[in-house]
Amino acid sequence: MKNRALLIGLLVVLSAMLILVIGFWEPQGPPTASSVGQQGRLATAAPPAGGDFTLQGPRGPVALADYRGRVVLIYFGYTYCPDVCPTSLALIAQALSGLQASERQRVQALFISVDPQRDSAARLQEYAPFFHPALVGLSGTPREIAGVAAQYGASYQLQAPNAQGQYTVDHSSATYLIDPQGKLALTLPHAASPEQLIAAIRRHLPPIDGR
Amino acid sequence: MRFPHRPLVLAIAATIALPLPILAGESELTIVDAYVRMVPPGSPNTAAFMTINNSGSSKHKLVQAESPVARRGELHTHINDRGVMRMRQVPAIEIDAAGQTQLKPGGYHVMLLDLQASLKEGDTVPLTLRFDDGSTKEIDAAVKKPQTVMPAGDGAMKH
Repeated sequence: MKNRALLIGLLVVLSAMLILVIGFWEPQGPPTASSVGQQGRLATAAPPAGGDFTLQGPRGPVALADYRGRVVLIYFGYTYCPDVCPTSLALIAQALSGLQASERQRVQALFISVDPQRDSAARLQEYAPFFHPALVGLSGTPREIAGVAAQYGASYQLQAPNAQGQYTVDHSSATYLIDPQGKLALTLPHAASPEQLIAAIRRHLPPIDGR
Repeated sequence: MRFPHRPLVLAIAATIALPLPILAGESELTIVDAYVRMVPPGSPNTAAFMTINNSGSSKHKLVQAESPVARRGELHTHINDRGVMRMRQVPAIEIDAAGQTQLKPGGYHVMLLDLQASLKEGDTVPLTLRFDDGSTKEIDAAVKKPQTVMPAGDGAMKH
């Protein structure tokens, strides 16, 4: 009895699928120019390449190239961020604190603001060291920030302001690890633990000079 | 003295008396480990976290949270949308019967907007929590600096 019901059910599902396929299958016509362009763009969407950039730090321009020979961690966020950024930056700070002093000298952590209208370099200087003295905050023009975010595959979206004119920013919460040669080596997901961060850093640390 | 508005007086009396049975149910809810995250200087907002335990046999909802240290309190959650963290206000935070709900970083939290003074480590922040049955709870939350040192016992250096 049970088997029979199962068989009927299966038949119903299969017939429904068949009807859907017959009803909705449209053999693709000749591609139009626009669809080719779109498909081509999607097909070639490579993983983010990373790469060099220059932004504004607490004491003038800071370039990723300044940190060649070090492992660099990059996190995109904003100082008005109520929860996600403090959580992530605290995890990064814990990782930095968990390194040996000799290792920490070969690591740099950068916090890039995706809200440059509110986050001046001066404001970032107040904000970033609160989490760890080695954390450097970077700002730039909205265009510069958008460029760097695109290089690294970071995304963000300003939300509509409330009655007080305050707004939040939805943003990706990954930590990017750049190897001592300046290459984007790894993207760590949101809420990666200090242990995960430390392990990743140690895999890419350059050997200490003179040994 | 005469009461020209007897129905009104009765209504007021009823309103005052109404919360009494509700207060009895209030003890079903206990709040532990409440804290407010210390934020860098100049930050206008912060968040409060806690664990709410419900020992009762019916579901409760946290519907409002306020504190004198902030102009406004809101209930929020985070949605992890393929790596993008979207913070959204929620009308209520549910606590299941015989259950608990954690308000924690990256999840449910009480947003404290427009801080009236900068909070220092060791400060205590009063919070008023209002539940869907009309009951309220007054709690004190400690201000805590986000942990920036690895917890001991993970093979990390101790300080």
